[in-house]
Amino acid sequence: MADFSYIPQVLVSGLGIGCVYGLIGIGFCVIYNASGIVNFAQGAFVMLGGMITHGLLQRYGLPLLPAALIAIAVVALLGVVLERVVVRPLWDRKATMFTMILATLAAQIVIERLTLIVGGDQPKTLPVFTDLPPLQIGGVAVSFQLLWIVGASLLAVGALAAFFRLTRTGKAMRACAINREAAALQGIPVSRMLAAAFAISAGLGAMAGILITPTQYTAFNVGVPFAISGFIAAIVGGFGRPFGAFLGGLMLGLVQSLAILGFGAGWKTVAALSVLLLFLFIRPSGLLGAATK
Amino acid sequence: MSVVHALPDATSGTAPVLEARALAARYGHVEALHPIDLHVAEGELVAVLGPNGAGKSTLLRAILGLVSNSGTVSLRGTPLPRQNPVAVASRGVVLVPEGRGIFGPMSVAENLELGAYRLRDRAEFARRRERVMTLFPRLKERLTQVAGSMSGGEQQMLAIGRALMAGPQVLLLDEPSLGLAPRVTEEILATLGTLNGEGLSIILVEQKAPLALELANRAYLLSVGRIVATLDPREITSYDELAQHYFA
Ligand SMILES: Nc1ncnc2c1ncn2[C@@H]1O[C@H](COP(=O)(O)OP(=O)(O)OP(=O)(O)O)[C@@H](O)[C@H]1O
Ligand SMILES: [Mg+2]
Repeated sequence: MADFSYIPQVLVSGLGIGCVYGLIGIGFCVIYNASGIVNFAQGAFVMLGGMITHGLLQRYGLPLLPAALIAIAVVALLGVVLERVVVRPLWDRKATMFTMILATLAAQIVIERLTLIVGGDQPKTLPVFTDLPPLQIGGVAVSFQLLWIVGASLLAVGALAAFFRLTRTGKAMRACAINREAAALQGIPVSRMLAAAFAISAGLGAMAGILITPTQYTAFNVGVPFAISGFIAAIVGGFGRPFGAFLGGLMLGLVQSLAILGFGAGWKTVAALSVLLLFLFIRPSGLLGAATK
Repeated sequence: MSVVHALPDATSGTAPVLEARALAARYGHVEALHPIDLHVAEGELVAVLGPNGAGKSTLLRAILGLVSNSGTVSLRGTPLPRQNPVAVASRGVVLVPEGRGIFGPMSVAENLELGAYRLRDRAEFARRRERVMTLFPRLKERLTQVAGSMSGGEQQMLAIGRALMAGPQVLLLDEPSLGLAPRVTEEILATLGTLNGEGLSIILVEQKAPLALELANRAYLLSVGRIVATLDPREITSYDELAQHYFA
């Protein structure tokens, strides 16, 4: 039988992983809003964030923060490359949703295999960002890494909200999400907005991957499970709703942690998929209602 | 029987603002617009009339390159790119589409801002916005309101206002009166008359032919994807006469 005195502790760690799912979920939404495409290469960005940061630390001896920022920038750039090389040509030919899903899935596998060839199959980890013993808050141990995860995630979400509300490009991206044709009629370069969406999603994915790696490990094949969780977070939040996706991620993280406490680690995936099914049955439009297309 | 009037060409000497030559459009294998020639002279308001399904919207969409098209469209003598609505719009060929296409969840102010997406000059932006507020005072009271929560007439005003924010060389409107009360329709069409009076070149697609003909310098009559007549509104004096053209 589970020891219920652990519940606050478990909820706290669920919050951390939930933020990470949320960031990945936002990535799905941002691309979906700009294009109607569900990008199944999202997991590759998460994996690359951790792997590239690791590489920069090991090989070039960079300090953690610059290494992390460079990795995020590199992955964001790779997002643009993916858009240019894989997505745009298909998009211009008015490819179907299925073609897009297969193409991005193929890209995911190619990136995964290339990482395996270049980086090997050994799991890698990153040092914690702040190497101090956990804080004790009301009997709950709060690690500094958790504070980093929650703090950086909230900062990213806030920055994204400001970007969409206040900047010209952010507003133009929202306009594309609402009505792409009408956006084009205003002279808004809709395909450049798509590239921007890939950059943002990839950057967020990389950030998620970097934040979580010190608490677990990273390897060439960690992308897909993260992508699935992020995808569920996006559905739970109401697909196409970035901030819904973040809430969805938090909820998923909490439910998973409780399931692990209650039934054991094997139930993690069961819990995630149960949350998904529950939402598909009971509230298919998600926490905030799906974005109107 | 369709009557084709030989009209005096106001453009003699200068290139028309907008000119289409052998412009055709297709949906898949179906040619919805057969090759047509059409032009708008500087400061002209040209009406495009025709029954449902005649191809009026297709014609405007072909000019913008929103449908797969062939032929050429030139703006003041310079050919426009063929299937690139963003580039065509950026050159100042601005379409207010059928159904308005406003950004419903965004505010009125944001909609207007996006109309001026290409404009970097703040003073000019303020000037254009002031102009739109003068033309449509109702928008001024609703700047912070969510656009989709306004009445149909107000949304149409916003769609036109947003198009004006782009500083159009030529303004294309697809049935701005659709679904609006007669009084609002008259108000909106009167505003188009004002704009045209100030020198803005306009193509106006309308089902409500009598209203459009009151404003127009010239009218094309479209039927089953072809221009079947070019009309001089001064010569159309009765509704019956127009109906004859429709059913010719
Ligand atoms: N997306 C489409 N796919 C296939 N056929 C289309 C499409 N849009 C229009 N058509 C066809 O093209 C023809 C012209 O349509 P269009 O919408 O241009 O007519 P319209 O004159 O604007 O009519 P209305 O007054 O009803 O708006 C019609 O026969 C229509 O069925
Ligand atoms: Mg139409």
